[in-house]
Amino acid sequence: MKSDTLHVMAVYTKTIMKAWFQYRTDALLSSLTVFFREATGIIVIYFTLLKFGNLGGWNIYELLFLFSLLFLTYGIMIIFFTGLRDFGKTVRNGGFDRFILRPRGLLFQVIFTNADWFAAVGHGGLGVALFIITAGEVGIEWNLRNIVYCIFTVIGGVLIQGAIFLLLAALNIYLFETNSLKELFYWNMRKFAGYPISIFHKVIQICMIYVVPFAFVNYFPAQYLLRKPDMAQYPAVYMYITPIIGITLYMLAYGFWKYSLRFYKSSGN
Amino acid sequence: MGSFIDVKNISKTFKVNKRAAGVSGMIANLVAPEYEKRQAVKDISFHIERGEMVGFIGPNGAGKSTTIKMLSGILYPDKGDIKVNGYIPYKQRKEYVGSIGVVFGQKSQLQWDLPVIDSFELLKAIYRVPEDRYRKNLERFTDMLDMGSFLNQPVRQLSLGQRMRADIVAALLHSPEIVFFDEPTIGVDVVGKESIRDFIRELNEKDRVTMIFTTHDMQDIEKTCKRLIIIDDGTKVYDGSLLGIREKYGTTRQLDVEFSSRCEIKSIEKVEIRELDHSDGRKKRFVFENKEVQINELMNHLLTNYDVRDINISEPEIEGIIRKIYNGEAS
Repeated sequence: MKSDTLHVMAVYTKTIMKAWFQYRTDALLSSLTVFFREATGIIVIYFTLLKFGNLGGWNIYELLFLFSLLFLTYGIMIIFFTGLRDFGKTVRNGGFDRFILRPRGLLFQVIFTNADWFAAVGHGGLGVALFIITAGEVGIEWNLRNIVYCIFTVIGGVLIQGAIFLLLAALNIYLFETNSLKELFYWNMRKFAGYPISIFHKVIQICMIYVVPFAFVNYFPAQYLLRKPDMAQYPAVYMYITPIIGITLYMLAYGFWKYSLRFYKSSGN
Repeated sequence: MGSFIDVKNISKTFKVNKRAAGVSGMIANLVAPEYEKRQAVKDISFHIERGEMVGFIGPNGAGKSTTIKMLSGILYPDKGDIKVNGYIPYKQRKEYVGSIGVVFGQKSQLQWDLPVIDSFELLKAIYRVPEDRYRKNLERFTDMLDMGSFLNQPVRQLSLGQRMRADIVAALLHSPEIVFFDEPTIGVDVVGKESIRDFIRELNEKDRVTMIFTTHDMQDIEKTCKRLIIIDDGTKVYDGSLLGIREKYGTTRQLDVEFSSRCEIKSIEKVEIRELDHSDGRKKRFVFENKEVQINELMNHLLTNYDVRDINISEPEIEGIIRKIYNGEAS
């Protein structure tokens, strides 16, 4: 890391903030909108589950705790990976050409010119609130071991999702637009990830563990803390390897990204 | 080899997705996409020395932008070598791009919602421009381009001419050694164009900044560049001075003659005679090749045989010559 990288990051962030505060109300509203949109989703789930009582042996707070891990990691991820999420747009409007012309790392620029702090506040805020409340309800003991475990696992979960975004962004270089792939592999899988994977058909379970490994973002970490009986059908080691999977996937995605840049075709005039 | 910019036999081919119209075409494209190869640049070579100012012209889709993008390191050439200032642009990107500036007339690099000065501050950080040099450049450029009045205005409120000037300064704050301008006067009014051209010329003369220009406006070229490279259909069709192009291609002359009364002219060998409009047959145009017809003989012939009131000789417009080159008429 060059000595002035932090300085540039700060200037980028200041610039984004300034641009946002040109429309002060809108900035505030967008945080609130994200918060309420996602909160509505949770409320719907809450009342649905209230009817069932439990799902695959998980009670309502355990389910919401599972959900909160998904939110928390997404909220953190989106600060850094909005640029990758919207990378197709950047390629199409020629913004990526401009990044190439500046003497800074490309991924660095993609990330820091687009960091979405406001959505992150909305999303992450909800994630943190939900996490703290439900962790209390399910009676997680906050000893050092669990705290360290949570920190590493959250980082791993962020990297897993970041790797998916980075992989799809790299595919953009060949395909120009990968929104439908993102819909299929990220958002659809994420819907399953809101529930304990053990309730699904085997095929979906395999997808969630080995194809788009959302299970390592929230299900296995939640199992480490909750120890529900349905964990018996999976190798116990899965509860501990989220950080390793995160780092490995991210490295692979980064390698693919680096390799793909060679084939970048610019968007024309 | 050994020039400041060395371009040797570069080619670039794009794969273009061929898509049939309609829903069935869309489905067919999804199942078995068909690709067509389009060669945007075919085996182009040239050398440019430090401090030169070179204009690239060519019709839309000729390969100008692709060439500029390869020179600036955005695209890899499929074949051939590029060396600029000792760097290979697409391989030593980070080291190289710090020494160049690029202005895309059609794409601003300024922050849309923020005052111009905020974009400049961001660029200062990105390019690691030392404070004193930044101050000096900013002061000098804003003064030259008369930008003081809108430096603190959000970019979205600027006129196109103001925005273009701001974009040019943005590309120059880090004192690049080479500047690429891709249509820097597009959509700018006459006064604005003039001020941009003056600025570019001064920077080239005083600071010896090497400049490469693409444009569709021949006035840009005539008023700034001594050297011209014409690209058409991916190949270089001309590389030389602006004067040279007149000598090489502009060999047609025309003589507009006004006679005192309506008259019939007997045909003259190798001269095309055209009737000019609204002249009741009194005004005629004689078009001929410089090499084939002696102009004084033709004039003598007309003056002795007819009652001539006025004569006007004209050379072809550079724009006309270039149009001919594009159309493949000139040889």
